[in-house]
Amino acid sequence: MKVKIRQWNGVASWLWVANDENCGICRMPFNGCCPDCKVPGDDCPLVWGQCSHCFHMHCILKWLNSQQVQQQCPMCRQEWKFKE
Amino acid sequence: MEDIGMEEDSAEISGSAQKQGVADAWETVTNALMSPGGPGPEQGLWDSLALLSGEGLGRLLGGWLLETLQMRLSSAVVPEFWAELQQPENELEERGRAWVLLTAFQTLLGRLEPFLGGLERLESWQDEGRGSVCGPGPGGLQERAFTIIRALLLFSPSPVLQERVLEFYSRTFSVYMHQEGQAEDSAEAPEGPEGGVCPGCGVPTQQCWCKEALEQLKELSHILSKLQLLEWVSCEAVTSILHKLIEQRMEQHCRGEYERSFLLEFQTWLELVLGWLSKVFASEAEKDGLLPAPGAPSVPSTPCLQAGQPGSSVLKQWRCHMHQFFCRIYVNMRIEELFSIIRDFPESKAAIEDLKFCLERTNQRQQLLTSLKSAFESRLLHPGVHTSDILTVYISAIKALRELDPSMVILQVACQPIRKYLRTREDTVRQIVAGLTGDAEGCTDLASELSRGDPVTLEMQDSDEEGADPEDWTPDPTDAVPDKMGSKRRSSDIISLLVSIYGSKDIFIDEYRAVLADRLLHQLNYNTAREIRNVELLKLRFGESHMHYCEVMLKDMADSRRINSNIREEESRLSEEEQPPLSLSSIILSSEFWPPLKEEKLELPPVVCQAMEAYTHRYEKLKAMRTLSWKPHLGSVTLDLELEDRTLTNLTVSPIHAAIILHFQDKSSWTLEELSVKLGAPKELLHRKLALWQQHGVLREEAGGRYYVVETGSSKEKMDRGVMLIDSDEERDSNTTTQSEQREEKLQLFWAYIQAMLTNLDSMTLDRIHSMLRMFVATGPVVTEMDINELEGFLQRKVREHQLLVSAGVYRLPKAN
Repeated sequence: MKVKIRQWNGVASWLWVANDENCGICRMPFNGCCPDCKVPGDDCPLVWGQCSHCFHMHCILKWLNSQQVQQQCPMCRQEWKFKE
Repeated sequence: MEDIGMEEDSAEISGSAQKQGVADAWETVTNALMSPGGPGPEQGLWDSLALLSGEGLGRLLGGWLLETLQMRLSSAVVPEFWAELQQPENELEERGRAWVLLTAFQTLLGRLEPFLGGLERLESWQDEGRGSVCGPGPGGLQERAFTIIRALLLFSPSPVLQERVLEFYSRTFSVYMHQEGQAEDSAEAPEGPEGGVCPGCGVPTQQCWCKEALEQLKELSHILSKLQLLEWVSCEAVTSILHKLIEQRMEQHCRGEYERSFLLEFQTWLELVLGWLSKVFASEAEKDGLLPAPGAPSVPSTPCLQAGQPGSSVLKQWRCHMHQFFCRIYVNMRIEELFSIIRDFPESKAAIEDLKFCLERTNQRQQLLTSLKSAFESRLLHPGVHTSDILTVYISAIKALRELDPSMVILQVACQPIRKYLRTREDTVRQIVAGLTGDAEGCTDLASELSRGDPVTLEMQDSDEEGADPEDWTPDPTDAVPDKMGSKRRSSDIISLLVSIYGSKDIFIDEYRAVLADRLLHQLNYNTAREIRNVELLKLRFGESHMHYCEVMLKDMADSRRINSNIREEESRLSEEEQPPLSLSSIILSSEFWPPLKEEKLELPPVVCQAMEAYTHRYEKLKAMRTLSWKPHLGSVTLDLELEDRTLTNLTVSPIHAAIILHFQDKSSWTLEELSVKLGAPKELLHRKLALWQQHGVLREEAGGRYYVVETGSSKEKMDRGVMLIDSDEERDSNTTTQSEQREEKLQLFWAYIQAMLTNLDSMTLDRIHSMLRMFVATGPVVTEMDINELEGFLQRKVREHQLLVSAGVYRLPKAN
């Protein structure tokens, strides 16, 4: 017997490769989106800091904008630098 | 008696000289009164009358006349009448009985005529100013005479009279209707097939006495009206005849017939009947028309408003009566049939409109409600009826009853049992959602209702209808259920009504999401046009925010298609030997936005796993920092099978089927255990899934739970038999977890909150917990609004499991030991 597969339609779900489930700022899942967004994924990306913490991009930007003096990671209080 | 005694006394007192003269005068006058021919105005009579009046005896004349009448009646006339009516009883035919009836009344009239003549004469004397002869009160004498006649005659009526009258009237009615109706009925009742029987009087044509009957009717009415007995003798008979006939006709014409309106038809028929009535009451009508009965201030006899009808208050009254009869009987019949009418609704609109018209004229709403409710309960709301059928009837009921009662009160009250019952059915929501998306076989109404939906009216319900003119306000009917909602909230919108069965639209939207997920995952192509349309329509109903998750799901489909074509393009640039062995495409979900999918373990064959890995790599390249998690058991596979003597092409199966058959490619026989280990799936599941291939005749099971490939189709008939034996339980499984499972999960989520609250606040009441939960757990996709009853049930379960304590309505956590 020979089986010839013409087409395999699979189902998968995408997820961020992150070391946590939820955004430390908005507490929403990374795989969802930040409270301001409607659509997850491309429209609401994650960003990583050099301290290896990651957040929804919109969340951390808001946080950084609200810091007057020094820009720190809200989790570890190290200076926030975007990971290249 | 007394009167006569008095008269003798007074005569004595007045002296003996005049005694003889007075006696003579009395004789003359009384003789003149009773003489049948009627005396000319002779001088002698006038003298006697003057003499009597002079003696003050004139006013006794009336009394004397009544007295004589009474005596004659009770001693001779009444017994004679009854004897005549009853005498030849059984030997006679109907025609003879009619004749007896008539002659009995004729004799009665003959006997009473002298008295009536005397009364009239007395009155005319009085009018001519020949002294007060009638006693007090003009016309009072005649009234009293008729009262005496009625009283004595009908004091103990024998049932024979009613029977005879009824029979006679029925007959004349049918004769009349036959004659009048000939024009309209001639087509359906030709003379021929009756075998020479006159349809009017029901005897062979040569003996037809139709004409005679009508003559008799005329005469009888005349006599009765003359004796002022018409009302007393005929009314009951006429009433019961009309009642019976309307009922009969309705039974014949309208029962089970909902598609045309009967109002006009009956209107014309009733006019015809009125023609007969005008014959029955002809003399009464004339008299009424010419001189209104003195004493009784009757309606001035204006020409009747209805054209062509002899105007009279009697007939007008009867017309009202008949309408009332008709409405009542019609409503009664339709109430009995209302369930069927509702079931056939769009076709039975005419019946509903008729019913509405009649119901407004009778006071039978309560009866309708009770009857309809019990009809629903006995015919619809039991386990034997499919949920979709209940929904179909409910939808028809909504449509029908909003026609019947625009205030929606009947709808609201009568359908309460249906709503309550639907709440107990588990698949209600799914059925409604299926209906909305046009999946259900039965109810396509919902889908069209959805697409028809005008959101404007929906918005209106939420606003306070400020613009409405207060003058247009109409109060609720008295049977309305007093509730907070008020009439403006009483919706007639089918979808809102259905959705509100559960009190919350969130349950609906969750269910819709599950249905949508199923549909999308079962789709082979990425064509979502129909789903997009549905979601757009639902958005109009439920609002943008509620449908947000569904929108993301649809967007996932579009994104998946784009990613697939990207990856395809990349693959096509590869060299020949690097081409993947398997054409794999994928639907990529945003897991947070899809309903929870069933988790099933399944190890796919290496060739598929490699293809998936390759796909994942390409995806990772495409979308930085993102990866894919495959759901191996979901999706669909199209494959060809090449066996030694046949090929099966273009089979579409689920991944687990494909995985099974791929293993048989390497090795032609497997036991269930081996397969189970290889695929990492439970044996029972595999056993079920293997059935598909057995059905296709590709595999066969042998003793010891071993499966073999059937390479040659020689054992064709054996294979066919196999097909028969294996029952296909291959129903399309839903990929999403069921509503109750999801609900359970949600409750567990709440439990964490509740524990935390109780730890901090020590003890709380049910209401408090509920409001706190609503506050805290207000966000997130899976949290639907929670019913306080549901919460109570949940907490009580926890109490039974000793995870919670309750005392005096206050919940607390058990003290940790």
